Amino acid sequence: MDQMNEVLPGLIRKVVFHIGPIPVTSTVVNTWVVMLVLFLLVFLIRRRGFEYKPNTSVQAIVEVIVTFFYSMIEQGWGPAGRKYMPLVGSFFTAIFFLNMSWFIPGFTSPTTDLMMTAALAVVAIVLVHAMGIRKKGFGGYVRHYITPTPIMLPMNILEEIIKPFSLAIRLFGNMFGESMVASIMFLLVPLLVPVPVMMLGLLLGTVQAFVFSILVVTYLATMVEGH
Amino acid sequence: MSVALATALAILIPAAVSAISQAWATSSAMHAMSRQPEAADAMRGVLLIALAFMEALTLFAFVIAIVMSGKV
Repeated sequence: MDQMNEVLPGLIRKVVFHIGPIPVTSTVVNTWVVMLVLFLLVFLIRRRGFEYKPNTSVQAIVEVIVTFFYSMIEQGWGPAGRKYMPLVGSFFTAIFFLNMSWFIPGFTSPTTDLMMTAALAVVAIVLVHAMGIRKKGFGGYVRHYITPTPIMLPMNILEEIIKPFSLAIRLFGNMFGESMVASIMFLLVPLLVPVPVMMLGLLLGTVQAFVFSILVVTYLATMVEGH
Repeated sequence: MSVALATALAILIPAAVSAISQAWATSSAMHAMSRQPEAADAMRGVLLIALAFMEALTLFAFVIAIVMSGKV
C-alpha cells in the first residue's frame, strides 16, 4: 500500500493555477501542450499546400492517413458516411496523440483522467444527437425512440444514457490501467522489465483511439440512417 | 480483511470471465478468417468492436475495484 501511495499521485490530476475562481488542473495544461504540438504539425503540413497529384512525401503520408479514415468509416457504416470523415478523423487524431503523449518523460497522459474522457464522450454524443436531428428532423428523431414498438421506449432511452458512460469509462479504464501497471512494474523492477508493458501501451493507445472513433461511426449510423 | 478480499474478487472474476469470452470470440474469428481470407477485413472491424464491448465490462469492474480499494 505504501508503494501505491508513491504511484497514484503521479496519475491523479492536481490544480496548477487558478483563472479567477476556476481551478486549472494538470490535465488541462497537458492537453494544451498536446494541442500545441498538433497545431504546429498541421501548420507545417499545410505550409506547402496540396496539389491534385501528390508531389511531396508529406502529401503521400497524409493521403494514406485519410484513406485509413475512409476505410474505417466504410467498415462501420458504408460509403454514405464518407462526409463525416472530418469529425471521426479529428476524434481519432486527438485521442491518438493524447494517448501517445504518455511516452513523453514526466508527462501524464490527459486520457488517464476520467474528466477528460468524459468530456470527449459528451462532445461525441451531443454531436451524434445533433446530426440525427439535423438529418431526420425532430419528429423522425423522436420516432427513433419508439422503433420497432413503443414497448421498447425505456430500453431505447436507457441505451442512449449508457452510450456516453461506456465511451468515457472504456477509454479511461484502459489508459489508467495501462499506466498504473507500467508504474507498478517500474517500482518492482526498474530496469528493462517495464519495456514490454509500455510497448503493449503503444498498441493499446492505437486500438483505443480506433475503437472510440469506430463506435462514434456506429452511433452516427444508427442515428442518421435509422435502424 | 473482508473488504480486501471483496476488492480482489471484484476485479478477479470479471477479468477471468471476460478473458474467456474474448478468447472464444477471437478463436471463432480466426477460424472464420482462415476459412475465408477475402472477408478478413470486414471481420477484423467487427471483432475489434466486439472485443471492446467485452473489455468494457472488465473496466467497469476495474473502476469499482479502484473505488473499493480506497476503503481497505
